[in-house]
Amino acid sequence: MSPLNADEPGGFVADHLDVGVFAIDAAFRVTLWNRFMATHSRQRAEAVIGRNLFECFPELPRGWLERKVRQVQALRNYAFTSWTQRPYLFRFDHNRPITGGVDAMRQNCTFMPVRGEDGSVSQVCVTLQDVTDTAIAHQALAASLVELEREKAEQQRLIGELEEAHMQVLQSEKLASIGQLAAGVAHEINNPIGYVSANLGSLKRYLDDLMKVLDAHLELAAELPTECRERVAARTAGIDVDYLRADLPQLLGESCEGLERVRRIVLDLKDFSRMGETEKVPADLHRCLDSTLNVVANELRYKAELEKCYGELPEIECVPSQLNQVFMNLLINAAQAIEERGRITITTGSVGDEVFVSVRDSGCGIPPDELRRVFDPFFTTKPVGSGTGLGLSISYGIVERHGGRIEVDSTPGQGSEFRVWLPLHGGAD
Amino acid sequence: MLSEDQRDALQELINIGMGRAGASAAAVLGEFVQLSVPRILILRPGLIPAALERILGSEPLTAVRQGFHGDLRGEAVVVYGAAHCRELADLMGYEDLLEPGAERELLLDVSNVLVGACLGGLAEQIRAEVGFSAPSLMAVDEAAASLIDVRDVDLPCALFVEVNFRLEVRSFACHLILLLVEEQILVLRNAVDRFLEAL
Ligand SMILES: Nc1ncnc2c1ncn2[C@@H]1O[C@H](COP(=O)(O)OP(=O)(O)O)[C@@H](O)[C@H]1O
Ligand SMILES: [Mg+2]
Repeated sequence: MSPLNADEPGGFVADHLDVGVFAIDAAFRVTLWNRFMATHSRQRAEAVIGRNLFECFPELPRGWLERKVRQVQALRNYAFTSWTQRPYLFRFDHNRPITGGVDAMRQNCTFMPVRGEDGSVSQVCVTLQDVTDTAIAHQALAASLVELEREKAEQQRLIGELEEAHMQVLQSEKLASIGQLAAGVAHEINNPIGYVSANLGSLKRYLDDLMKVLDAHLELAAELPTECRERVAARTAGIDVDYLRADLPQLLGESCEGLERVRRIVLDLKDFSRMGETEKVPADLHRCLDSTLNVVANELRYKAELEKCYGELPEIECVPSQLNQVFMNLLINAAQAIEERGRITITTGSVGDEVFVSVRDSGCGIPPDELRRVFDPFFTTKPVGSGTGLGLSISYGIVERHGGRIEVDSTPGQGSEFRVWLPLHGGAD
Repeated sequence: MLSEDQRDALQELINIGMGRAGASAAAVLGEFVQLSVPRILILRPGLIPAALERILGSEPLTAVRQGFHGDLRGEAVVVYGAAHCRELADLMGYEDLLEPGAERELLLDVSNVLVGACLGGLAEQIRAEVGFSAPSLMAVDEAAASLIDVRDVDLPCALFVEVNFRLEVRSFACHLILLLVEEQILVLRNAVDRFLEAL
């Protein structure tokens, strides 16, 4: 096939197409250059035809283009370029210089083998299609896609935050309403506890007196005539005075103990409802920890090896008595989680403008489905009497009021870590 | 759909075509290209994903699609494993590290060479005129089973020709799959018959 001749009908069409058409021979000499190419390159056909392509257009990517053309010649096959990978072959102005927002005409090119009579290929014809409008639309679409993706991610993040906030609100709300209830209950119970415990005190004193009276009577009864003693014995038959004497104080003691427990629970409840001291002072958390350890030493001693890994802690603004209570709760829980003997590790330190106190135990751990409930008021897995289920929810409230948070990490069968984070410079309140 | 004889003849035609393809691909790539004996299957489209998975395994794949038209119509898919894409840059004489745009252009280029060579070889054997559309990227890092979405392929069956390319010196390999629709299989069958008569 000879290069298209502009005088023939085919050549006329090639010349007037709204597509760039040019051809080159094996030596990269231009053999065809249609009007599209001429007007866009501002090089007329007469000025280009017969000359080496790279001489006319030194800015062309020579190595790449040579490989491409050799490919077509060797394989006698089509080859293509797409604007998405290679924006253009020739740098032409495009038809939207003002509104387009792209620097040059985007082009899709097709390289076609031109077969000679003998089937061999020496010339390669290239068409060059202006796809700037498509490219601009595509870019706009791609940009809005990216924007959409970004917005979607942002929304996802917000939803996550909302969920978290919602959980927190739920938790605080639960605590607040239970707190109110608890305050009422504590108040109501305090009164009867007051007089029952006062009465028990009196009862104990009266009992001591009664015992003395009884002793005196028993002593004197020995001196009564036999007949009288037999009458007394007949009237008190079946009553084991020695047993009564031994058991009465024990009963009374247990009642006092029970009452003391009730009093402690009420105290917990009171704390829970935020009564008592709330004034924040600068305090050394290590001192708080050590004094708490003194108080609970007995409970820990038989259960665990205690390891203290204290880091550097500045003083922080807090209500020390409340934090003491948090630490005590955590330590007692840790001890209670240990079946036989284990280890409790207290670690402290600071990260950024937060400090942490962590209590880790080698105890039973917490199953995943219980993990989210341990801070719920009255959630307990301990037998009646040894757990109220209030410790952690009180602690949660206290830490929250300090502007901090409690993190739990637990592996069933291996142990748990409760980590209290507190801000350096006191939270709200 | 094809008799035993027709099938053998088709295999033979495709073998010869592919042999030529190997030679011309080698000429372009400058390295000796090994081709597997093409495997020919006639499949219901629904079975194509499973066939792809069996052939290509489970590693993530990158695929280029190229349509062809004329006396033979269909689609060719060239599939690369992720590691092999990088080998290509070197092979085609891109010295520098490739930016994503250039890497894709390269993939399209090599696919075009392979598809052109193979189909050109086959077309020549059966004296068919075949033209090509521009290749396009079909999938990047996807599982074999989800490469081709067969849900909207509404055809009773497709011809599945699978060839492996391997370069002698490098570890580069890829797979070429030709998908022809049923009526095109008939075109091929006629060509095969002509070929058999001419013997
Ligand atoms: N260190 C721990 N190891 C295992 N379980 C724990 C630990 N701390 C708390 N728990 C679980 O959380 C529950 C609630 O704890 P808490 O609020 O202190 O109430 P209580 O100790 O009175 O049960 C406990 O009953 C227990 O199931
Ligand atoms: Mg507790």
